[in-house]
Amino acid sequence: MTRYIVSRLISMIPTLVGVTVVIFLFLRLIPGDPAVAMLGEHAGQENVERIREQLGLNRPQFLDREALEQGDVKGFFDSQYLRYLGRLFRGDLGASIHRRIPIAETLKERFPATAELALVSILIGVMVGVTAGIVSAARRNSVLDASSMIGSLMGVSIPIYWLGLMEMMVFAVALDWLPIGGRLDHDIELEVVTNFYLIDSIVTGNGPALANTLQHLALPAVALATHPMSIIARMTRSSMLDVLSADYIRTAHSKGLREGVVLFRHALKNAFLPVITIIGLQTGTLLAGAILTETIFAWPGIGKWVYDAILGRDYPIVQGGTLLIALIFVIVNLLVDVSYAFIDPRIHYD
Amino acid sequence: MVDMESTSERSGAGIPPGEMGLIDFAVREHRSLWGDAWRRLISSNTARLGLVIVAIFVLSAVLAHFFWEYDPKIDLDYSLKLKAPNLVATEEIEGIHPFGTDKLGRDVFRRVVHGGWNSLRVGIVAVGISLLIGGLLGLAAGFYESMPLSRGGRMVLFGGIGLVLGGLLGWIAGQLFQALLFCLLGMAAGFFEELWAGKPERTLFFSGTGLLLGGGLALWVSPYTATACGVLGLLIGGLVARPLGGSLVANIIMRLMDIILAFPGILLAIAIVAMLGPGLDKGMIAIGFVGIPVYARLVRSTVLSVVQEEYVAAALSVGVGQGRILFRHIVPNTLSPIIVQSTMGLASAILWAGALGFLGLGAIPPEPEWGAMLGDSYRFLTTGAWWAVLFPGLAIMLSVLGFNLLGDGLRDALDPRLRL
Repeated sequence: MTRYIVSRLISMIPTLVGVTVVIFLFLRLIPGDPAVAMLGEHAGQENVERIREQLGLNRPQFLDREALEQGDVKGFFDSQYLRYLGRLFRGDLGASIHRRIPIAETLKERFPATAELALVSILIGVMVGVTAGIVSAARRNSVLDASSMIGSLMGVSIPIYWLGLMEMMVFAVALDWLPIGGRLDHDIELEVVTNFYLIDSIVTGNGPALANTLQHLALPAVALATHPMSIIARMTRSSMLDVLSADYIRTAHSKGLREGVVLFRHALKNAFLPVITIIGLQTGTLLAGAILTETIFAWPGIGKWVYDAILGRDYPIVQGGTLLIALIFVIVNLLVDVSYAFIDPRIHYD
Repeated sequence: MVDMESTSERSGAGIPPGEMGLIDFAVREHRSLWGDAWRRLISSNTARLGLVIVAIFVLSAVLAHFFWEYDPKIDLDYSLKLKAPNLVATEEIEGIHPFGTDKLGRDVFRRVVHGGWNSLRVGIVAVGISLLIGGLLGLAAGFYESMPLSRGGRMVLFGGIGLVLGGLLGWIAGQLFQALLFCLLGMAAGFFEELWAGKPERTLFFSGTGLLLGGGLALWVSPYTATACGVLGLLIGGLVARPLGGSLVANIIMRLMDIILAFPGILLAIAIVAMLGPGLDKGMIAIGFVGIPVYARLVRSTVLSVVQEEYVAAALSVGVGQGRILFRHIVPNTLSPIIVQSTMGLASAILWAGALGFLGLGAIPPEPEWGAMLGDSYRFLTTGAWWAVLFPGLAIMLSVLGFNLLGDGLRDALDPRLRL
């Protein structure tokens, strides 16, 4: 097991190096000079040059062949990309070009916002999705089954940005029950500890803040949960149906066990493996930031942040943010694979 | 045998087992694979519904594009700004606007119908791009993972390695023709695969040649460059001397796919559009690119399972060539999963296109496109203009739903055992 995890971690390295190259190349290919973006279009040439030098943008991108010709081996490797990699290994993500705030600092605020929203959404998605899937499988071809499957088909077909807008229209604008966006009302005081506002408000015993956070979470979380919920429901149903036709389920029934026991103790346990995969993949996707949901609900998460940075040519934010997102993706996938061995004793990694 | 017995059991008539199969065979009319699949498809209610929805959208988009003239550039009328839907003409509003009007007084119904042309076009082209590139990559990966490389294949592979790595070396030395020399070296290594096979002489010969080709020619640039290039040449030579097989090709392709998959799709698509500049055609490229790994993985796994089949082993054993096996036996058997995935892919491509348009990265205004229409109008929700947001979104949802229903139906029709 340990060997498997280690080998998987090692095989992640080329992928992640490739990811850094892709991020680096993409940013250089996007038209526009960050130095100009920073100083404005009317900046003097020498100022632009000075900033370019400060940011290291005057160095060659990958390797400096002219330095090598002069016998400067260190200079050969002193390029934009390798400098970036070197800083990365020292844990230095750099600072935003426009605002000069260190990336790591902003991440500390932004990532918890995204993670809180993602985890609440996936929780809703798993609870509703798995329940709907089990009910559909147990009452196959009933009205319940049909309606939950139609619902889940609608769920995978609905554009979440549109669903978010519709929710907003009904619950925030027309009925005025819930806030229209943001994480917390301005007039609510909350002592920030972890930046997970749910945890913070519970830890500091702040009742009003907890209620307010939950109100703010409701609309974006439901919008974001819809897609995973539908996929989980469909997967649970088909996986349960597979298992329910197995011989040991018939045996369990014929022993006179109650249906609940058969469903949960015998069937669900064995049907859960593909469901876990889907849950894992969806968690990865949601943790990676929901650009659209965050945009609509003015949620201060990493998705919106990276999106704005791409359009604003803020290289360090895009590099840091995207790398974090890719890292989460890859790690979640690894965790999903490893979790198989714990859930299903037939699976060994040797 | 088992099948025949169960058939006779079910029919319950007094026909002896064994003969039932014969009768069944004689009575059943002969149908083609696709004819059978079509019958199964239209016998399912949900698939029929999907087919109808898809047909309505495709027909309305195509008919509108060719027979209902619309020039988005001159279509505006401020006096009709944000009017609610009306089904009968009144004194105030002369025209009939079943879906209301938007912030520039344009008829939302008209724009939704015309927007369909753009959204469907994006979907089809994007799926075409992912399918073509991803499918070919997946085919290559799956095929070379399970088949030994022929001599020609080895020459291409090793020549390619020589060309790419030699290109790096040639760039450092400023003499790009070195890349060609290394390409030739790689091809030679592929051609003479028997030469001292497995012996140290082979490594010695090729890495020595690499050292000379790289270092020697870089000498007249500078001694430092020559040293670096010599070392690189040595490594490249040593690499091509090794018995690298087809699994290397498969590995390279799938690692590249992993890299693309490590990014959330929407982020990658945004980055590509940011690089290429906004526009519907750029959106197609972006969405198509993001979908490549999906098809590559699907085709690879299908090929891997088809190669295991006995008919492939039989074809191999009678000496059928690799190319013929690939195109006669393997490609036709990957078609049904590809068709299913492409239909579902159309659904998600329409969703993606809408998302890009919503963010202002898709169609350039005033071109009608569903996502862009949403992005244009959602700021007016607080003023109560729900119609400008409701209908374009409904169009996206219904068309996506149609393709999803059709995809589900196709999956059941083409292969009941297949579960994606």
